[in-house]
Amino acid sequence: MKKKGCLIAGIAVGIILIGIISIVLWYIKTGNKIVRLDEGVSESWAQVENVYQRRADLIPNLVATVKGYAEHESSTLTDVVEARAKATSVNVNPEKLDAASLQQFEEAQGQLSSALSRLMVVVERYPDLKASQNFSELQAQLEGTENRISVERRKFNEVAREYNTYIRQFPASIVANSRGFEKKAYFEAQAGSEKAPEVQF
Amino acid sequence: MRRILFIITFLAASVLSFANDNIFSPPAVPTLVADNANVFTNNERLELENKLNSFSNKTSTQILVYTTTDLQGYDIADFAQRLGEGWGIGQDDFDNGVVIVYKPKTDSTSGEVTIQTGYGIEPLIPDITCKQIIEQEMIPSFRQGLVYEGIDNAVDICISLIKGEYSANGNADTTGEGSPILGLAILIAIILMGYPIFGAITKKTEGKKATFGQYLIWVLAFILNILLSSGRGGSTYHGSSRGSSHGFGGYGGGHFGGGGASGRW
Repeated sequence: MKKKGCLIAGIAVGIILIGIISIVLWYIKTGNKIVRLDEGVSESWAQVENVYQRRADLIPNLVATVKGYAEHESSTLTDVVEARAKATSVNVNPEKLDAASLQQFEEAQGQLSSALSRLMVVVERYPDLKASQNFSELQAQLEGTENRISVERRKFNEVAREYNTYIRQFPASIVANSRGFEKKAYFEAQAGSEKAPEVQF
Repeated sequence: MRRILFIITFLAASVLSFANDNIFSPPAVPTLVADNANVFTNNERLELENKLNSFSNKTSTQILVYTTTDLQGYDIADFAQRLGEGWGIGQDDFDNGVVIVYKPKTDSTSGEVTIQTGYGIEPLIPDITCKQIIEQEMIPSFRQGLVYEGIDNAVDICISLIKGEYSANGNADTTGEGSPILGLAILIAIILMGYPIFGAITKKTEGKKATFGQYLIWVLAFILNILLSSGRGGSTYHGSSRGSSHGFGGYGGGHFGGGGASGRW
């Protein structure tokens, strides 16, 4: 009788132990997967920053080239330079890609985009500038950069969506909450952002 | 019974592989020349295909030539980027793919062409070079109605710029990394579980034991199925025949970031 009780108790303890171990293992595994997805989002964000930086890097050269042909457009050029300074000064913590910080980034980059497009309208008045070798090379680079920007924004949204979906689904949401993983913000689809913005010169 | 099993396994494979009917999903038969707009003659298409296949086999670098009359509302650069990424042109590890998309000029719309470079090609063919190829080589030919010549020239220039940068090794391992163990595990699992079940089924319905040959065929079909339906990462397509100088072994899962240039005439 006593022996039988021991056996049952032993089995019960064993089952409980196995249960606990598998929960712990599941917790670790799920946590690791979230970390991996989170890293993917950070990586994707780095790419987004890269391509925006690439655009910022083109601007000094662009401004210098336009200046050489269009001295009277200094106010438009100043706008571009100022918007660039503002856009490059916005720093987003890749660990904390929430709606507020993403919006701040968007606003600064958006101002630079519109300053640039105003400059491109102005440029229309200077056929010599448009015909110059230097300018047409800059044009090709700027076009490629705008394409890259829309591609990397789209890829970021895809990766962020995968992460968000995973951490908000039960039961992974338990792990995400306990370890403080938060939802990432998306880039808003701007009007016509499905298509790469066309840079008209 | 064996036939039914075959039908089931292959149906499953085809559903898994081609469930997505999107134009940006890889085609059932991988090719490097997709002439949807019918701008090449048969000989031109074959010649171009041979050139691109042998370049792919030698260097693992893949150049896709795609012609279409309908860009489905996308900007041509965006269309080509999605195509390259979706089909997986170039190798996953090197992102060494190039996509050339050509849309013929019609009475109401201008002709458009784009060269999109994978991440790994961007340093070898910068955007400015793409622009120069388009404006100095392609568009002048297209204006004279020499579509094949324009595209063929552009392909030659791309090949000469990329040559020497990547070796065929990139290609050889596309299905190899880590998968021998997985393959062995699957095989063992099948032998352990599949054989008795299969034997029981055939015994019951046909009244005789399956021969070893039948069993082997079934296992091979199953493995082929798994290989076909699960590319690396589950999203890219891998062809299974490689090695001949003219054949094309399948796409490698390369990525595109929007580099390149476009032009219209």
